[in-house]
Amino acid sequence: MLRIADKSFSSRLLLGSGKFAHPSLMQQAIQASGCQLVTLALKRLQLGQQQDDLLHPLQQMNIQLLPNTSGAKTAKEAIFAAQLAREALQTNWLKLEIHPDPRYLMPDPIETLIAAEQLVKLGFVVLPYCSADPVLCKRLEQAGCAAVMPLGAAIGSNQGLQTRAMLEIIIEQATVPVIIDAGLGAPSHAAAAMELGAAAVLVNTAIASSQNPVAMALAFAQAVNAGRTAYNAGLAAAHSHAEPSSPLTDFLATL
Amino acid sequence: MRIMLNDTPLQLATVSTLTQLLQQQQLRTEGLAIAVNNSVIAKRLWQEYQLQNHDQIQLFQIVTGG
Repeated sequence: MLRIADKSFSSRLLLGSGKFAHPSLMQQAIQASGCQLVTLALKRLQLGQQQDDLLHPLQQMNIQLLPNTSGAKTAKEAIFAAQLAREALQTNWLKLEIHPDPRYLMPDPIETLIAAEQLVKLGFVVLPYCSADPVLCKRLEQAGCAAVMPLGAAIGSNQGLQTRAMLEIIIEQATVPVIIDAGLGAPSHAAAAMELGAAAVLVNTAIASSQNPVAMALAFAQAVNAGRTAYNAGLAAAHSHAEPSSPLTDFLATL
Repeated sequence: MRIMLNDTPLQLATVSTLTQLLQQQQLRTEGLAIAVNNSVIAKRLWQEYQLQNHDQIQLFQIVTGG
């Protein structure tokens, strides 16, 4: 079981709800994946436009909704967005994300830490999206974050575990769940993250932008399970030379 | 009373609370959040929250996103 703050989850796959062609496709993908944590975003209401009934189907699926602070460029903006999100969804769970640069969407480590410290004091369950920086992840943990969510690669880039060496250190040091967020482009990337010992992964673009999001959601769920099972089983060591797996006897030497 | 609602000027005659404003605008409260003069107003206070002349009201809603 994945335990975050006071809640337990049987699925170690978190889904982002963005970029799906239509809401029913998102719901089907969530169902196929078996995920129990889904991220949402916040935006200013366009007056006169019909409000989507996005929440009702999600609330019936018995999943933990995780609003994010996407769009915030500073700690101050993120705290404002967090307070809005708490009222909009009536939850104190929060994916904290602060990325001032639209080209690479890299999280601002300084603003993220400042915001995390304050949001924890305000009673939020804070899951920060952050750089794959072992020192920063430790500081976020010390600030009281319920998990850390270092990036595998840039958001939506589908490049996989570009930060692998740093993720290994983060996972080794962490006493809160490490959720690899952003950049996972294929189920094999998710499996690799889980084999490293990640507590969970968060996937959005790779599923929503695939040709068949429902099938891809299932593929990611299977990969996460396989990776976790492999991690628990303990991977065999890698060697630079061959290690025979059959007996090298000389029974053919007489021919 | 004159207010700004998401940067749109609005003249209010019969409306005095946030809940009444939402009803007048025919807005669902599910997934909605409100800030008045840049302060977030808790949902449980909307019914009794009295609007003031020149209030700047911002409405936000939950949307899909990663």
